[in-house]
Amino acid sequence: MSLRSSAPRVAALLLLVAFVTAPQLFSFAFEPLTANNAPAIYNQGSLLSLTLSHLRIVFLATLASTMLALALGIFVTRPSGHEFLPLSRSLVNIGQTFPPIAVLAIAVPLVGFGEKPTFIALFLYGLLPIFENTLSGLTGVSPQALDAAKGMGMSPRQRLFQVELPLALPVILAGIRLSVIISLGTATIGSTVAAKGLGEVIIAGLQSNNVAFVLQGGLVVALLAVLIHDGLGIAERVAARRSGRPLDEAR
Amino acid sequence: MIEIEHLTKRYGAAAIVDDVSFRVEEGTVAAVVGTSGAGKSTLLRMINRLVEPSAGRVLIDGQDTMAIPEDALRHRIGYVIQGYGLFPHRTVAENIATVPRLLGWDRRQIAARVEELLDLFGLDPAEFAKKFPHQLSGGEQQRVGVARALAARPALLLMDEPFGALDPVIRHKAQDELLSIQRRLGTTVVLVTHDMNEAFHLADRIAVMNQGRLLQYAAPAELLTRPAEAFVEQLVGSAERPFRLLSLMRVQEAVEPGTAEGEPLSVADTLHDALSRLIWLGREVLPVADASGAPVGRISVSRILAHGRARA
Repeated sequence: MSLRSSAPRVAALLLLVAFVTAPQLFSFAFEPLTANNAPAIYNQGSLLSLTLSHLRIVFLATLASTMLALALGIFVTRPSGHEFLPLSRSLVNIGQTFPPIAVLAIAVPLVGFGEKPTFIALFLYGLLPIFENTLSGLTGVSPQALDAAKGMGMSPRQRLFQVELPLALPVILAGIRLSVIISLGTATIGSTVAAKGLGEVIIAGLQSNNVAFVLQGGLVVALLAVLIHDGLGIAERVAARRSGRPLDEAR
Repeated sequence: MIEIEHLTKRYGAAAIVDDVSFRVEEGTVAAVVGTSGAGKSTLLRMINRLVEPSAGRVLIDGQDTMAIPEDALRHRIGYVIQGYGLFPHRTVAENIATVPRLLGWDRRQIAARVEELLDLFGLDPAEFAKKFPHQLSGGEQQRVGVARALAARPALLLMDEPFGALDPVIRHKAQDELLSIQRRLGTTVVLVTHDMNEAFHLADRIAVMNQGRLLQYAAPAELLTRPAEAFVEQLVGSAERPFRLLSLMRVQEAVEPGTAEGEPLSVADTLHDALSRLIWLGREVLPVADASGAPVGRISVSRILAHGRARA
């Protein structure tokens, strides 16, 4: 990657790090947005620790979604699991159609306030992109390569790990990336049920009618999303190159 | 040697392959020809059990293939398909190493074998080992596909339209190359094709299939002179017959004593090539030389024509 194309990314990363570690440095930029001598910078907790909690819950939820969606995607593309494809599809689709806020409302009475209901909402919401991409990745593997693999005496397990998954990897990664980005934004609503995260900053701003807070929370989430999107995009391109596709063909 | 006995594949009531039996001798090339949907590929895929037969059996060197575990059987049989199915995420060297790796050869042994095969197929290891399939031309991909199939030194090679994706010029070269490698290694080859020229060029015996049945299994010349059914005659092309026959015979067989003017033909040329040269040069006779270039006699148009006639 050339220096010029990576320069904005590096700048965004530096900006983000500087802002969450020493937000006071930026108070001059937010002061014009405040009224009645309200604080310009979020003062009810450390932005750094909120950011880390936010990332942590997104990471854990995506990890869980990935494991289940990947396992399910692999299972329904095997001959033995083929008949479960429609069922799995509907289940995963339900996970996506249920609004996360509704999931929170249902989950709180069951598991209590805090991170757990947020985790459940993000987990369900993140399944679909990963599952669908796993499916299309695995079914998109060249039938000739599969036939050759079988004809050379690879066992089903060897075919899966040596041929199918490596070739499907770029598409699966694209699904994970989509899921992470959705979760990063969605996780902010977790703060309504007392999960620690950047949603706290936004909600505090909304409650005290402080635009500066809302903007700060939103800005950090947005920067995180852009940077993670880019980072995973690079990983995808590396995987695509490894799977023998020319760069421009991989998204 | 491979023996195919009463091999049948039914899907529901329809028999895709219907009671086919024939035998391929050690170190020879058998071509299976027929129109599309004749059951050629299904027949081939029953030999390495990619398709399970409904009835009948296949013996390889006397051993029933059903007695060998599927994967172990396929490790012993080379397999080349149209489009080759090279693994796009693996380098040329890794592709070729597929079966040796499955068999657990040690690293040095594999590297040596890969290099040997690349040399055999005229691909410089320094240049090609690290390339990915998408960086290769069609002809190079084809060679890698065959090299991969031969990596674990199988005694039997199955090929399904292996030259189908190549343009005519490269195809002919690839066929010659396969033939010379096959002769050198003594591999038994069963090849599926719908290209009659290819079958006549490569095969020691040709199996003609139609609608799942084997109509005739015979040497190429016999297929021309004694076609078993009208369909066989139609498939080999009645108008092409004399020329096909001539292309199966060498100048050696028609050489007569005497001398003639002009650039000599080689004893190894086919009569088809010889006739074509004679017509083109407007000559009745041309001299013939052996492999070392020493004159051995001459060849005439009339002698060639006599060889292209049906013999009762």
